[in-house]
Parts: sequence; C-alpha cells; structure tokens
Amino acid sequence: MKGLFKSKPKTPVDLVRQTRDLLIYVDNNPDSRESKREDKFAALSKLLRELKQILYGNSEAEPVSEACAQLTQEFFKENTLRLVIVCLPKLNLEARKDATQIVANLQRQQVQSRLIACDYLEANIDLMDILASGYENPDMALHYGAMLRECIRHQSVARYVLESEHMKKFFDFIQLPNFDIAADAAATFKELLTRHKSTVAEFLSKNYDWFFAEYNSKLLESPNYITRRQAIKLLGDMLLDRSNSAVMTRYASSRDNLRILMNLLRESSKSIQIEAFHVFKLFAANQNKPADIVGILVANRSKLLRLFADFKPDKEDEQFEADKAQVVREIAGLEPRDN
Amino acid sequence: MDLPSLNPQIHSYASKMAHNDEQDRETKRFHYPLDPNSYQILQEIGRGCSAIVYKALCTTTSTVVAIKSIDLDRSTTDDFENIRREAKTMSLLSHPNVLKAHCSFTVASRLWVVMPFMSAGSLQSIITSSFPNGISENCISIILKETLMGLRYLHDQGHLHRDIKAGNILMDSNGSIKLADFGVSAFVYESSSRCLMLKEITGTPYWMAPEVIHSHNGYSYKADIWSFGITALELAHGRPPLSHLPFSESLAMKITKGIRFSHYQKEEEKVLKNTKLSKYFKDMVGLCLNQDPLKRPTAEKLLKHYFFKNSKGCDFLVKNLLQGLPSVERRFKESKFERVGSMSKEQMEDDNDEEVEDFLLGNNVKKIRRISGWNFNVEACELDPVFPVGDTSYRSKSLDEGQHMNANPQKDVFAKQITFGGESVISETRGELDGNKESLPNVVTNDGGGGEEEVDIVGGSSGVDREVVVGSLMSLKRSLDDQKEKVVYMLSMVGAEETICSGGEHDSSEDSLMQMIEKLRLELDNEKRKRSSLEMELEFLKLHITSNSDV
Repeated sequence: MKGLFKSKPKTPVDLVRQTRDLLIYVDNNPDSRESKREDKFAALSKLLRELKQILYGNSEAEPVSEACAQLTQEFFKENTLRLVIVCLPKLNLEARKDATQIVANLQRQQVQSRLIACDYLEANIDLMDILASGYENPDMALHYGAMLRECIRHQSVARYVLESEHMKKFFDFIQLPNFDIAADAAATFKELLTRHKSTVAEFLSKNYDWFFAEYNSKLLESPNYITRRQAIKLLGDMLLDRSNSAVMTRYASSRDNLRILMNLLRESSKSIQIEAFHVFKLFAANQNKPADIVGILVANRSKLLRLFADFKPDKEDEQFEADKAQVVREIAGLEPRDN
Repeated sequence: MDLPSLNPQIHSYASKMAHNDEQDRETKRFHYPLDPNSYQILQEIGRGCSAIVYKALCTTTSTVVAIKSIDLDRSTTDDFENIRREAKTMSLLSHPNVLKAHCSFTVASRLWVVMPFMSAGSLQSIITSSFPNGISENCISIILKETLMGLRYLHDQGHLHRDIKAGNILMDSNGSIKLADFGVSAFVYESSSRCLMLKEITGTPYWMAPEVIHSHNGYSYKADIWSFGITALELAHGRPPLSHLPFSESLAMKITKGIRFSHYQKEEEKVLKNTKLSKYFKDMVGLCLNQDPLKRPTAEKLLKHYFFKNSKGCDFLVKNLLQGLPSVERRFKESKFERVGSMSKEQMEDDNDEEVEDFLLGNNVKKIRRISGWNFNVEACELDPVFPVGDTSYRSKSLDEGQHMNANPQKDVFAKQITFGGESVISETRGELDGNKESLPNVVTNDGGGGEEEVDIVGGSSGVDREVVVGSLMSLKRSLDDQKEKVVYMLSMVGAEETICSGGEHDSSEDSLMQMIEKLRLELDNEKRKRSSLEMELEFLKLHITSNSDV
C-alpha cells in the first residue's frame, strides 16, 4: 500500500482534501487515548507542512502560482479554514505555526484575480470572533493574532472587527503582561486603526466619545511606558491622516485632551515628548481655537516657550524645526480672549 | 565490554525523556513569572549599546536564567518593530539548538527578555579567553553540526538568522550548543514579496556574504550559509578570515581599486592551504564560501557533508573545551578593563562600532570591540582596517572590502557602500552629541549604576569605582602605546604618505585626548551658537508679542 501511495505525487487539491478529512476527524474525536489519533496528528502535521511549502516555496524552489491557485480554490470550496481555526489549539507548536502561515498566505492568493478568501470570510465572519478572543489565551494569542492581522487586510473584515465588541478589549490586550502578546495586539490595533482610511474615519466619527475617552484614560495616561509611547505615536498617525481631519478638529478642540498632551510633553522620555509634540501642534495650529484652549495656552505660555527653546529630536529634522517654529509663533502671538 | 555500549543507550533514553518534557512544554507557555521582583539579579555578563545582559535567579522556579534588558527609550519606532518581531520569534521557536525566550515583559522603559542561562557563554568568548589560535577540528565539527541543525530549523521556519558568528553560538555547561540572538533575524514569510528575498542590510561585516554587502538583488537563506563558513574559519583560527592575510597584502588589496572578488577568494584559499586543517573541513568551508549563492549548499545538504559524519557527542566538548575555562562572569569582568578603554577610544574616533545587536547573552563585549577594529592591539593586528579614508577606520575597511569583492566597482556601488556605513552608524549611535559629551571612560560604570537601580541588583558594584577607572585608563594607555607601535610598523612597511594621516590619529594617547578635547570644544561652541540663535529668536518673539499687544 505504502509503495502505491508513494508513486503518485499528490496534487495540491488532494493535499487540501486529505487535510480537511483529518481535521474533521480531529474535530470529531476529542478522545485523546487512541494511538490511532497520534498517527492522524502526525499525518496532519506533515500535510500542513506540504501545503505551506506549496504556498511559500522552500530554500530550493519558488512557489508555482498555478499550484497556489488550485490549493486556494480547494481550500475555500468547503469549510477548511474554519476547521483549521477551530482545531488549532489541538495541534502541536510546529503544526500551529505552519497552519498560521498557510492562513496568512491564503489571504493574499488570487484565483482568477479575485481574493476568494475575502468572500469566504464575509460569509463566515464569526471566525473573527474566535481569532480576536485569541488574545485572552496566552498559548494561542500569537497564532490567532497573526491570522487576524492578515484577515483584516480585507476592508469588510476590518470593518466588522472595528465595530465589534472586541474593539473595546484591545485596550486591555495591548497592556497584557506578556510583552510578545501585548506587542502583537498593539500591532493588530494599529493595523485596524490605520489601514483602511475611509472605514477608520467612519468608525472614529461614529464612536468618537467612548473611543477617545478610553484612549485617553487607558492608553495615554497608562502607568505603562510602552503603552503611552505606542499610544501617542498611533494617535499622531491617526489624527494627522487627511481622511481623519474632522476627528482631528474635534480632538484638538477639547481642553481635556490638551491637558493630557501637555502632560505627555513633560515626560522624561524624549521619544514620548517628540511624539506628543506632533499631536500638541494640532492644538496650537488650530485656527479656530475655542476660548478655553486659548486660555490654557496663554496661561502656560512662558512654560511652553521655555520647553520648546531646547526641544529637538536626536536627529536633525527640518520639518520638526519648521513645525516648532510655527507652534512657537502661534503661542507667542496668542491673545487672552476674556470678555 | 557491556558498559560502553550501554551508556549511549542510557544517554539517548535520557535525552528522549528530556525531549518529551520539552514537547509537553512547547505548546503551553512555560510559566516563568512576568514580574521583575521574582528575579534576583546576580551579575552583569554582557553589555551593548542599548542592552545589558544579566545572570539572574528566578526565585519562584529556582532556576538560573539570563535576562537581556533592553532600553526601549533608546530605540526608534523601527527598532521597536524589530524588537516585537524578535520577541515573537523567540517565544515561538522550539528546537534544542536554538535559544528560546522563557518570557518577556516590560519594566518601566526597559524590556526584559528572560532566557535560559548558557553557562559556558559564547564560543567567541571561549576562544578569546582560552583558545586564541582556534580550537581543534573535532570540537569544531560538533559545534558546527549542532549549529547547523539549529540553522536548518530556522530556515525551515522561514527565518533568516542574518548574524551567524561564533559570538552568537552559545554553549551550556553540559556542552549543548544553541544559536542565539535574533536581533537582526528576519522573517521572510512576513515580508510582502513572495520571492523570499530581503533587501535590508544587517549583520556584522566580516561574516557578511558578498551579496549582502552589495545588496543589489537582496539575499536569502544562502547568506546565512556564507556566514556559517566564515564562522567555521573563525573557530579554526580564533578570528574571522580576512585577519589572516598579512597586513601588507591586505592593505595592498584594499588600496588597489577594482580588485576582483576572485582575488579575495584566492587569498582565502591560500589561508586554507597554509593551515593544518583536514581536507574535509576545507571542502566544507569552500562550499559555503562559493561566491554564487545558488551554488552554496542548503543547511540540510550541508549537514550530510562528510565533515560532520563522525562528529562526537557534546560530552567531548565538555572535556576538551570547558575544562579550566573561567566562568562567563569572570570572563566578562576580565574584559571590563579593556572594554572601558575601547569604548572611550571609540568615541574619540567618533566611530562607534556597528554592534547594537551584539550584546547577547554570554557574549562578552570585549571581543566585539576587538573585531570591530579598534582593538587590533591584540593578535589580530594584520587585519587592521586602519586606512587612508578619513577617521572611520572600521567603516572604511568594510567599504573597501566591498569594493574589492565587486567585480566592476562603479560609482553607484560605492555610493551604496556609503549608505550602508551610514545606516549602521545611525542605528548604533543615538545622538552623537550627547554620546560624546557623556561618554568619557567612566560611561560604563555610570550606565551600570542607572541600569542596576531599576533592576534592584544584588551585590553589584554600582557607582564609579575609582580602581576600575584607573585600571581601564591604564589599559587604555597600554593599548594606545601598542597601537602606536603597530602603526609605526605599518608605516615603515608601506612607506606611503596617505597612511600618515590615519597613523597620526593613533600617535599617542595625549594626542588622542587632545583631539577629543578639541572635538568637544567644537561641539560646545556649536551648542553655544545654537543657544544664542535661539535666544535671538526668543527676543524676536518677545518683540513680536509686545508689538502685537500694542496693537
């Protein structure tokens, strides 16, 4: 029998089918006593490795696009992706990593110039719930997290995650004690909030109140250095994006926000100070500053000007200098608007 | 008669058990505490620009670990992304020959990466301390085979290591070997291109493959194989290969523009012939150092090479390498004098070396500095990169090397080399101004004090130790004298005026100090000027304000 199998090279379609059959078996037979089960797992790991090699090539050969397309088509023809995601915790580490890489790669594979992964995910959008909850399980977080990040390359999928309840949990995920998991969650969070401009703009304006309340209190005022540093950088990236200009104007008109930014400007960390400046400048440059913002800026004028006098990044940066000069001019020229 | 045949069985049984243990552990996170108070810092065992490595005791599990403490505030956003990737890589890898992270967490603005403590340290530090002329082929075969298994695993996983060298091969007291430091490792599956090629330049120049240095076409797994070959030579000779060329020849090679790569290789071959190494070794290294990456074997194939066929077990390493070897801690301490000296000297030359990443575990910094070219007062003198091109002697060396290896050195190639140097310089020296101002010889102790405070060190020597400073200054003086001697010798050999300018730099310690003082003075002036211009601006603004309020 063995010889027979060997003589016939398996096609990508065969490999996907066999993988699916084994996943179904694993899924339906949770009883782990059987030695038969061990064999199935070994076979499954081997198949996953082969699938990965078709998609990525190996150190000797580049991937063949025809084979990739066949594999992708067969994969999404039935529920293979769901099976992979559901069974992932049962696999060993190497098989998990292979599966993660396969899922990641499939998101970019085109079949007749269509991203069929996207169609599949739209029809099975609840899979995103499993992936996003992965951050709650330290053993699965890096695998599910990597898959999730690839899936939100599709705009519709990203919109689903943004508007889901998971979005609130990210504020905690990115502060998990395990650095590798927290950093992975932060990378996903950033991707969600920067990748698809129009979706992000819509999300931010619809969810402005709770989102920025959380953002300020949990992230910008976090006791955790890394959280503050990443949050202030991301805030700058979001607000300075042209597509978010409405949100930016709103953000830069709030005295509470200004207070938080001014505190960040006083941090001992240069990196945080510099990033905070890039947001602070929006408050100063705003041509329609509300009276309370002007009031705060005027009250702190001398302190601010003193701060900016010897404020510069480690590397020469002309743009920064120009921004700074403008901010200094703005603040110096402010008039208290009493009456 | 029974015993010898029994032993290996017992051994393999035991290792099987261990492996099973490891397998159980691999899918579950092994529970090391994520809290700095659960670790008792025992000793500093390594140091780089933005990281310190400690030996520490994990009090909840009662195990000795190594903790790499990385200063995140000194890393840019891009570095940050690399650090994230490294943390992820290290927690997802699982192979007996690859160093894994137990866990990582942040402590104020530092990231702590908790790793197994490899008590014998890096092969580089073992060589430096006890085998300056290289180690025996039997040992090399074992070390390289273990390393290669780790490398094969990495490549299988889609990782490039990108910085293979003896300094990144670690050894434990039982002789086990692990490949470490993924500070620069890239994950090819994450890059968007499908062709498994990377275009960034990283690594340590001596070990770099030509296609990495040129970086026209990107590079792939085969670049690691090249570095592996260089590492083989490093283990055999005690230093990487170029250092074996008599310096006059290497100098000539570097001065002549347009020398072809084959020349370099010819020299390489000559070196191989001159030594007493076996033909299998030479053949294996030859395969790795094929100029054409496509013709180099994969890690998988290389493992089948005859050179590895009769490799002995790791016990052999314990008997032959580790006996009488000073501990990692001692080696680090002993290197401290020289280290302090070398750091300050580097700053004088305004030529911090490229080794941000090289603080790894058990790897003592001294050797890095030495290889980086300044410390050529040690036996590696021939290799010396001192060169007519300005004051960045080390850089100019790698630049030149790049030129020589290039078949037809055109202008654009040269430009590329320069960016390469520039890029590395940027990544390593944050704020040269600050660095220069603060980094007089006692920078190490100062820094240490800061680091230790946060780490709540036990029995560490914090603050400035007068003895250490005096000692390091003495060693600095000694090595400067040494350098002077060598430069004079070189001058007499070459007789070319162009070297005089670079020679003058090392003339005497007084001169160097004078130069530094001069440099600092210039900087001070610069700062003063900036300050006054800012004051002017302020005045102007004040005027502006008053004129505005007048209106």
